[in-house]
Amino acid sequence: MILRLFDIAIKDLTRSFRSLTGVIFMLVIPLLVTGMFYLLFGNIAQSGDFDLPRTSVVVANLDRGGTRLRSNARIPGGLRADTLGGLVVEVLKSEDLADLITVSEVAEAASAYRQVDERQAQVAIIIPADFSRQFADLYGQAQIEFYQDPTLTISPGIVRSILNQFMDGMSGVKIAVDVAMDQMDSTDFPLIETIVQEYLATSITQVEDLSGELLVVQSPRKDLAAQGSASPLMRIITPIMGGMMVFYAFYTGAATAESIVREDQERTLPRLFTTPTPQAVVLGGKFLSVFLTVLVQVSVLLVAGRIIFGIYWGQPLPVAIFALEVVLCAASFGIFVNSLIKDTRQSGVIFGGVLTITGMVGMIRIFALNAPGAAILGNTVSLLTPQGWAVRGFLHALNSDALTAVLVTALVCCTWSTLFMGLGVWRFSRRYA
Amino acid sequence: MNAIEVNNLHKSFGEIKAVEGVSFQVQQGEIFSLLGPNGAGKTTTISMLSTLLRPDQGDALILGHSITSHPMRVKALLGVVPQEIALYEDLTAHENLKFWGKMYGLRGAALNSRIAEVLDIIGLNERAGGQVGKFSGGMKRRVNIGVALLHKPKIIYMDEPTVGIDPQSRRNILDSVVALKDQGMTVLYTTHYMEEAQELSDHIAIMDHGKLIACGSHAELVKIVGELDRIRLTTSAEGASLVERWQSIPGVAHIFAEDGVLAILTPDGNQLLPHLFDAALSQEVRITSVDIQSPDLESVFLHLTGRALRD
Repeated sequence: MILRLFDIAIKDLTRSFRSLTGVIFMLVIPLLVTGMFYLLFGNIAQSGDFDLPRTSVVVANLDRGGTRLRSNARIPGGLRADTLGGLVVEVLKSEDLADLITVSEVAEAASAYRQVDERQAQVAIIIPADFSRQFADLYGQAQIEFYQDPTLTISPGIVRSILNQFMDGMSGVKIAVDVAMDQMDSTDFPLIETIVQEYLATSITQVEDLSGELLVVQSPRKDLAAQGSASPLMRIITPIMGGMMVFYAFYTGAATAESIVREDQERTLPRLFTTPTPQAVVLGGKFLSVFLTVLVQVSVLLVAGRIIFGIYWGQPLPVAIFALEVVLCAASFGIFVNSLIKDTRQSGVIFGGVLTITGMVGMIRIFALNAPGAAILGNTVSLLTPQGWAVRGFLHALNSDALTAVLVTALVCCTWSTLFMGLGVWRFSRRYA
Repeated sequence: MNAIEVNNLHKSFGEIKAVEGVSFQVQQGEIFSLLGPNGAGKTTTISMLSTLLRPDQGDALILGHSITSHPMRVKALLGVVPQEIALYEDLTAHENLKFWGKMYGLRGAALNSRIAEVLDIIGLNERAGGQVGKFSGGMKRRVNIGVALLHKPKIIYMDEPTVGIDPQSRRNILDSVVALKDQGMTVLYTTHYMEEAQELSDHIAIMDHGKLIACGSHAELVKIVGELDRIRLTTSAEGASLVERWQSIPGVAHIFAEDGVLAILTPDGNQLLPHLFDAALSQEVRITSVDIQSPDLESVFLHLTGRALRD
């Protein structure tokens, strides 16, 4: 009888993979969607990194200096500047920002404006003549004029961020100096200079760090860098491929399980019940075929994702556990939802409604990976669906999370599967009793 | 021992009594037909006999095995040809036969040789590799029958196997049913085509509204209506308007109108015919066509139910 169970399962498996529509939904669409993203971000794959164009900045440093900050041999970072304006220029010209901006100097503001107007530069920075003096004045206001090409957003934004951070640091220095001048003996210059030096050191260090911070792509997949495959392209397509796999595995589970209802309609199921094959074996074979079909689909997608796109899924054991979770959840969920319908005319509601809604909710962590609140939704609302747990298993594998976390998720997936399978088997058995 | 012994079967679906107290016996090696209009309860009866439905009351013995207490033994003895084409249309004829053969417990060389034999019987050797979905209705029907023959069953049920097919395929199927009988197989055949039952059957049970209203050989059934001839007249007048006027003509046993045509049952059609022409002449009714039939199952059904079989 066990042989007959496998005969039924293999027959269904054959039919599933002989159906063009089935293969399209099972394999082609997940690969196609991933492929579209792959092509969309293909340039990243070639360079291996985001290639931001260098911003051309023209600076008109008109600063004539002030009364206090003249001697600055001890400014950290090896920078030299006679005036605060000069310090701004030196910071912008520093090697750390060389990949981001190219700085040229002009003697007059008008010349700087013209270069931007004529698109020879993207940003003009005008440092006024009284910049250092205003800075030194207890009640003064040191301001830098920022002039940009209005059609650009990203490049001027980067320069503005650098300047803002620098000026924030300088404001701290100014407050500290003003407070010191106000509170202490104004002749205690060595102490005041020490305070200034410390603030400058902090400020300039912050500016030096800017280049790094601006280019960091946030990602929860901390193990990818260690695996040497953390290219931005992979960071984009890996979760998409994983999400597609989970989403369409659930579709396949439901579509394959629908064959029970369809065979009932087409009268092949009643005919099977007239053969000397026990009903439990017939239904068992049908259920087994659902698991096998999803297993083949997930296996093919894992291998195809690796071969075609070079996706690194994670360590073998967590990946195997994830695959098993998807197979169990998708197959049992498919059997359960099909046990609720009476004929295939109701399948549209199941596929279009239940599967799409639960699928989208379960995919929150995939499709809104870095969006604000995505993690919270992913850890709460998503986990109300079996797809959410399958995605969680996928991210465990991808992040090389602790085995405890992997096993807890696997346990929950098994519980979901047992529940769905139990309900589905109970309902189908009652129907055909 | 009878091949099939049906005792007082009852089956209801909610308020609807699909089968009520049906009993009959089928001898081994004969063709037994269940004849009746759609909704008479034939398919429900055959579903119970093939253990698909459990009877509410009563039982049946298939070669001595009860359908209620030993359904698996019964299933092994039966080949069932359902009314619908119950095949996998995306598989080939050979793949279908192979799968169904396995469901009957056949394996390996025995299965392969039996598939070849069955393909030969149903005349589809050359189309074995063709996808069933692309077959004509008649070819599908033949594969449908072939599946039921795979395990060489002692009894075969055929539920309206000729519905919706062309005359040539119908002829093939009827010939194959006779061939099965010649091989010693017992055939339980359901149909609403009187001609098929008349041509094929050793015994016929007529069903209507879930009840078995008559059972016997063709000759025995015809005797029920007293071996009356059946005359069908098409006239210039409305058939119904002549029923009352002509029922007193000597020799008219029963007269009624069906589909605008006048139907008359009489012991001797040839003797009655001149009287009918006289009546028509005197009443200025023009007779446009005449058809005389010897007693048949249609007459029997009409006699027993007051309705034509096709109603």
